[in-house]
Amino acid sequence: MKIVSDLLRQADPLNDDLRRLDEARDQIRRTVVTAASVARPRVPRRKAALGAAGALAAALIVVGLLVGLGDRGTLRAAVRFEMRLAEAQPIPGLIVARVADSGRVIYLHPETIVTNEDIAQSWVIQDGPDRFSVSVEFLPAGAERMRQATAIHLGHPVAILIDGEVVIAPIVRSAISDSAAITGDYTRAEAERIASGVGIR
Amino acid sequence: MSGQPIVSALAMTVEERPSDRVAALFDAHHQRIYRLARRLTARADDALDLVQETFLRAARAPKSVPVGAEREEAWLVRVLINLRRDQWRRAAVQRRHDAIAAPQLRAEPDHGPAVIARTTVWRALDRLPPRRRAVVVMHELEGLAVSTIASQLGISAITVRWHVSAGRRDLARVLASRHGDYE
Repeated sequence: MKIVSDLLRQADPLNDDLRRLDEARDQIRRTVVTAASVARPRVPRRKAALGAAGALAAALIVVGLLVGLGDRGTLRAAVRFEMRLAEAQPIPGLIVARVADSGRVIYLHPETIVTNEDIAQSWVIQDGPDRFSVSVEFLPAGAERMRQATAIHLGHPVAILIDGEVVIAPIVRSAISDSAAITGDYTRAEAERIASGVGIR
Repeated sequence: MSGQPIVSALAMTVEERPSDRVAALFDAHHQRIYRLARRLTARADDALDLVQETFLRAARAPKSVPVGAEREEAWLVRVLINLRRDQWRRAAVQRRHDAIAAPQLRAEPDHGPAVIARTTVWRALDRLPPRRRAVVVMHELEGLAVSTIASQLGISAITVRWHVSAGRRDLARVLASRHGDYE
């Protein structure tokens, strides 16, 4: 007679799978901490029905931004923001790009999902004593485009472009809709500059 | 002079920000949550998605997470299992749809005996409903006491014992149908 318990222990996937947690830990941590930073008090259902179209942020992207932000002088020249779907493998018709923080090569879809035009508001979040990031919330139309685009793109990268440069391309783990967070080792001044810059239409 | 304003100010100062709370929550419990998630799912990526979604639930409503390590852990475990149960139900609907739309037999890949045995065990486990599977995993693989499982899942010890017993029986039946006798 064989014992079910022994078989379970022998077949335990954790015997060789803990390294996957090590690889993903930091990304998941950033995502959930940022989500906590931008979460807002729940709106009572009745008030929501009266027209609170912007409900709570539902899904988040964590973006590490390591590029320098030069002096841009005027508000018009402020930060240009785009998000596009991307692929890890080459596909004819896609645009080759290199991710700034890692040097990884990805392949951008030509269509832009959201831009500065789709940002309803942006604000600075303090991640640590000297670390700041930026959160952006999309207007309803942009949020819906994000949701539709990313819902069928699970397991593939989505690229964040700042001034035309891919700053990071995280893998889509669940559909993204209302908001995104741009995180990195920013100073407060840098984060404020991005937050005010991306909000310019 | 009333001391009330000072007390209020102190409370405002020491009040923990939601992001700090969630960061601490993640640091304290992510390994335990991943271990359970990995044993409830077929692939590591699925487990990571579950871990992220579990902590996102906490991030979206940090005040709903009770205070204290044990109560936090129990809350997270219950959220995890509920999420897994939702996935399991959706997958069951999809499987039924697929079976109706395109019934077909799939050939087994040519793997070695160890891989086949392991796959067989985990396929048998996959057939258990999520809560029963969670109880079996927590008891058999994590070595948790019945009382601890009952506390974490918010169910009675009797129910836990029943799930353990029924889970073993279900597993043994599935395994025996493929590879001989088990107990």
